[in-house]
Amino acid sequence: MKPQKQNKKEFSELIKVNQRIIHKITYIYANGPVDREDLFQEICLQLWKSYPNFREESLFSTWMYRVALNTAISTIRKKKNNFEVESLKNQEQIPDEPFEEKENVARLYKAISKLNNIDKAIILLWLEEKNYDEIASVMGTTKSNVSVKLVRIKRKLEEIIFKQN
Amino acid sequence: MNDKNIKDMWNKAGKAMSSSEYGRETIERFISKRSNSTTQKVKNLIYLDIAVKFMILIILGIDIFLFWGTLNVIVVCATAVILMIPLLLFQFKMLNRFSKIADYGQSAKEKLTSMLTYLRSGFFSTLLAISSTYPFMFIAGMLVYYYSAYGYVKPMDGQDIIVFSVFLIFGLGFNLYINRKQIIYQVKHLETCLSDLNDSSLEMVSDNLEKQRKQDITNKILLSLVLIFGFVLLLVIFKNIGFLIH
Repeated sequence: MKPQKQNKKEFSELIKVNQRIIHKITYIYANGPVDREDLFQEICLQLWKSYPNFREESLFSTWMYRVALNTAISTIRKKKNNFEVESLKNQEQIPDEPFEEKENVARLYKAISKLNNIDKAIILLWLEEKNYDEIASVMGTTKSNVSVKLVRIKRKLEEIIFKQN
Repeated sequence: MNDKNIKDMWNKAGKAMSSSEYGRETIERFISKRSNSTTQKVKNLIYLDIAVKFMILIILGIDIFLFWGTLNVIVVCATAVILMIPLLLFQFKMLNRFSKIADYGQSAKEKLTSMLTYLRSGFFSTLLAISSTYPFMFIAGMLVYYYSAYGYVKPMDGQDIIVFSVFLIFGLGFNLYINRKQIIYQVKHLETCLSDLNDSSLEMVSDNLEKQRKQDITNKILLSLVLIFGFVLLLVIFKNIGFLIH
């Protein structure tokens, strides 16, 4: 289906419903609120432009991961200095959780942000409960490569979190 | 820390993000804005060149009308039009090829590989096609200027020719340098991402590059010839070499 001008609203609604996917990606790829909004905007724009090529062979959400991750991976941005996810530790942002839990969540995000662009994409898909076949399809690699990489990434994450502690 | 712990933490963080959700109107505003991506910049470069080439064709048409009766000028303008049309078709071909590359719905490996292959091979042909626009723009513009200032083509002396040629070559070189420099960062970034993917992606790019290079070599030779021929036309029209007399 080729999007017409009149269904821009319809498409925006579709993005609105699935926007949590984009937020998660912007949190681990962008550096700060401004950069995050820029990336969010760029992802929305690329989704809109790529929509005519969307064939309903895959789920809309899987296709969305594909476009959003490709946008985040191929965009060059400045190196991170002070990690922005510190804001996740903020008392109000993660409701009903003890302070230690909030600290752990922030540590996890900080650790993921230290990975390279490809590793970030693989771990994100795994955390989002995608199976190895889906991860391999989004990344365009083999299932065995995904499996090997995931073991390494998890080890790397543990090391980073351990160092943070 | 086991897998379950990590996933639990990730899901808890997901709740925090719901606080920054955007409304439909904001998203609609986002998709109406302009993209800042490299793919869009390359596309814009091609769009702009196509527009300039169309404008030159119109000006050359005006030149033919203005110098109607001056056979040599008409021959030069007609030759320029004949050379410009395949250049224009070439840019449309590149735009079409690039639109396929620019699709973000491919897998990450396909996207990175196709972008890298294009930027390392096809982009130079695009730049050559853009560069070849300069001499024609100069010819079309100068003819209009000469008609309005003198009513005929004023022959240049040797010094004029050298000054104009130096400016033109400098402009071409500067354009190539700036565009190549902008792309170098993107190429390095794509290479790093592909090497992080840790499989045979970079070898695949090398294979694609080899195939592409063979296809592009004809394009590059033809584009270089058009560029040189454009310069020769420029010299012919502005240097009175005995047959260009009003």
